Amino acid sequence: MSETAYLASTRAGNLPATSSSLRQRMRSQSQTWIQRILGEREDQLFLILAVLVGVFSGLAVVCFRVAIAWVRFLLLGSSLNPGFPRVILAPAVTGIGIALLVIYAFPRSRGSGVNQTKAAVYVSNGYIPFDTVVGKFVVCALAIGSGQSLGPEDPSLQMGAGIASKIGRYLRLSQAKIRLIAPVGAAAGLAAAFNAPISSVLFVIEEVIGTWSAGVLGAIVLAAVSSVITMRWFLGAESLFRIPAVPAPRPVEFLAYAVLGIAGGITSLIFTKWIAHARPKIQALPRWTHYLLPAIAGLIVGVIGIWFPQVLGAGYSVIDQALHGEFTWRLLMVLAGMKLLATGVSFLSGTPGGMFAPTLFIGAMLGGGVGAIEHHFFPSITTSVGMFALVGMGTLFGGFLRVPITSVFMVIEVSGSYSAALPVMVSSLIAYFIARRFQETALFDMLTRQDGLILPSIEERREQEAFLVEDAMRSDGAFVARPADSLADLARKAGESADPLVLLRVQMGEWRLLDTEDLLRLSKDAAPRTADEVKSKGPLPLLFRDESIEEAMRWLGDWPVVPVVNRADLGQLEGVITFPAVLKAVRKAKSEAAEEK
Amino acid sequence: MADVEQETIPPEKRPANESPVPETAARTPGIYHRERVLIACAVLLVALFAFTAFIARQYHRMLHRIGDQWYANGEAAMKAGQTLTAVTDYRNALVYKPDDEGFQFHLALALAGAGKEDEARSYLTTLLTESPGSGPVNLALARVAANSKDSSDAIRYYHSAIYGVWNNDPLRQRWEVRRELSEYLLDRNDLRDAEPDLIALAQEAPPNDLGSQRIAGDLLLRANFWSRALAAYRAVLAANHRDPDALAGAGRAAFELAMYSDAADYFRRLPPRNRAAPPIADDFTLSQEAATMNALRLGLRASEAARRAVRALAVAESRISGCAKQRGEELPVRPNVATPPTSLQKLYSTGIQNRRLWSEVNLAHHPDQVVAAMTFAVQAESVGTAECGPPQTLADRALSLIASSAARPPSE
Repeated sequence: MSETAYLASTRAGNLPATSSSLRQRMRSQSQTWIQRILGEREDQLFLILAVLVGVFSGLAVVCFRVAIAWVRFLLLGSSLNPGFPRVILAPAVTGIGIALLVIYAFPRSRGSGVNQTKAAVYVSNGYIPFDTVVGKFVVCALAIGSGQSLGPEDPSLQMGAGIASKIGRYLRLSQAKIRLIAPVGAAAGLAAAFNAPISSVLFVIEEVIGTWSAGVLGAIVLAAVSSVITMRWFLGAESLFRIPAVPAPRPVEFLAYAVLGIAGGITSLIFTKWIAHARPKIQALPRWTHYLLPAIAGLIVGVIGIWFPQVLGAGYSVIDQALHGEFTWRLLMVLAGMKLLATGVSFLSGTPGGMFAPTLFIGAMLGGGVGAIEHHFFPSITTSVGMFALVGMGTLFGGFLRVPITSVFMVIEVSGSYSAALPVMVSSLIAYFIARRFQETALFDMLTRQDGLILPSIEERREQEAFLVEDAMRSDGAFVARPADSLADLARKAGESADPLVLLRVQMGEWRLLDTEDLLRLSKDAAPRTADEVKSKGPLPLLFRDESIEEAMRWLGDWPVVPVVNRADLGQLEGVITFPAVLKAVRKAKSEAAEEK
Repeated sequence: MADVEQETIPPEKRPANESPVPETAARTPGIYHRERVLIACAVLLVALFAFTAFIARQYHRMLHRIGDQWYANGEAAMKAGQTLTAVTDYRNALVYKPDDEGFQFHLALALAGAGKEDEARSYLTTLLTESPGSGPVNLALARVAANSKDSSDAIRYYHSAIYGVWNNDPLRQRWEVRRELSEYLLDRNDLRDAEPDLIALAQEAPPNDLGSQRIAGDLLLRANFWSRALAAYRAVLAANHRDPDALAGAGRAAFELAMYSDAADYFRRLPPRNRAAPPIADDFTLSQEAATMNALRLGLRASEAARRAVRALAVAESRISGCAKQRGEELPVRPNVATPPTSLQKLYSTGIQNRRLWSEVNLAHHPDQVVAAMTFAVQAESVGTAECGPPQTLADRALSLIASSAARPPSE
């Protein structure tokens, strides 16, 4: 029998009658070596894949960064201050090419990449066509390299997700795993682009997945770490920015960071509102204008670049200069404004590219500017302008992208300095709350909604109040019987209740539900009988009052009632939960929420 | 067009090779399918790794080349004194080699040269964090602090630089830093802080390095440490007895030490052009005059001492007469005047009374009277200065010098 025929017969269950040892050997032979190494479960394979995805994403990001550098060198030259005709021609002329590529060759490469990845997870089960990766690579390299005010991080995130999706599809993973592998790749791409694995993991959890799932967390971490290692292999392990040594700020100086937080919140608000207002109008322009928009944006950025070449491209080196306090407060403020303008124009034109680097740039300039002004009025402030610039990066990251946790870790990772952690916490939370108060929808959620997609808002989900068992449980309506209790007494009590539920506490932690009809029938017998003679169902599942209502719903399909017991004493009944009670509680909560609105 | 179009494209529009997920997931992987895919991934990974390594190497080479080119431009600009251009060039260089500490250091120097002390300090502080014991970085920070009028930081960084790590010729570098620190302290007129460094500077100056010895002497001279300065200059002159700077310095130090004949000797050995220069010319004539008038110099023959004393007495007598005339006092004092005699009148009387005793012949025979005669002359010059202002004639100035050196404590 050939191997194929043998395996076919094995799957069909047509095994010849053989001894058990032979059957075992045949079963062993029917497993592939992958299955023998990893077992039958897909989870182990998923972890291996996470590493693979990380390495591929790391390689892609390395090539992407090299491509951007080469394009910049070719189009703008090697100087930080490109000459006059070049500074206008490079982004404008390349803009025409970008428009053609986006419209005809890579239409899916539009946008920053973050909300596209999120849409892939929630709308198409993690499906990202591979030409998106290619398109993102080519078009973003041209755009950023030619000087458009956009960054490489978000595209890297989408490229990582696209690579992961492709590998997952090739391996014919289950639908659930393919949906999960895209965020894994996203974390890998972002980690390699930022050289910051922790904040990338946090960002993907905070912004893309929106939940701390142990199942995917391990894979995301593995992918992020392997991509960063791969990237460092080729490009070095240095932090993105070199921060001067900064002393920890004095307690009173946190007021200065609070001021920065307010400034960051207002700036975030202005930026978001502008994009929210202008984007639908620009998208509604006639189709022929879309051929020209990237070129027009390039022209505007180029004109700004004549006087302020710092705004061209991602601007990491300029951030580095700001961190070293190389600019006056006037220049810092002007650069923050000019970068905001240039980034908005580039992004609104439909040129593919990321918002992370420009956000960091604007934040650094704003932070440095605010710090320098505060230094002017309060010379006793010991913190350097560079430190304010560093904190400003995290502040705008928290306020504009609305990822306050990621912003703290991002600042620590990109700078390699822990001194800024507390100031960033203060200022980014203030910026976040200001932005949240006056702009309900976060940037990426707003962009997807403008595109007609309603994706789950992680921010809204994060702020939803948990609906717990204790919100729906009833403390009355059930009474507890012991095995030795008299049936006559139990029947009398049950007769007094409109909806009698009699729970039998058999022993510590074991609860059963007595059949009320049987109880009433047996109680009419002349002979004295006890509760343990009545027919009962169980043992019942147990719930605790702080568990989620989803946990209760798992059991209420099988049981009419589930006891809610004390965690310290499983024999102590705190209440019961029933399906009608859950429905009632949910309706009540909804009506209360509506009243509040 | 929506940015998320890709996610909503209908299945029939998807490329043929891109299977939508539900369909894919519904299919059971064929036997060995995953193995084949994983092996293919591994092969692809190796190929991509090699490719990425190749382009990364090219990329790094390009960055290094461009970075070095901008650095060279910066160096040229610095040499040409164009610090602002140099700053731009070094910044460009750092874009391509951001972790090059040499580039960062030179950018910091250029920034400091362009007057951007704060930015320079920021870069230097970063570098110092990386290598706290670096001599050059500490020195640069000291200079930045000095330019920013932050003297405590400047002194601290100078000392760190003196005891810091220097790659090339550390002894020489440390000596130079100490010299710079000493100059900085002397510019601030901070003699007290400068003293230990000046002493160390003179001691650590390489014995065979005449330039260092001379510099040490100059700085000691600026700090009024005459004897140490003289010693330093003598060390130079021992190797090169015609060194004009050392001769001038030694002459000045000897002059201040009231060693007028030595001073005159050093000045005399100077080339005529140097000797005729304004401060030296005056010191030279004065020291010559003082030397010819100072009868108390050790080793003089009795006749010579007597001759000098008589000359000093003549100058003193002339000074008393001139001063009395200037003040309208009558000399000699008339015996019937009731008013008590003035200081000048008393001195004049003393001179008259001792005229015979302090004759040249008598002094030559009684050398013990030379001291008394010179004390009288010095006293007369002192009173003359007190009553009539500083001396005007060369002889009076010389005698005044002798007087002040006689009144000075023996220490510097």
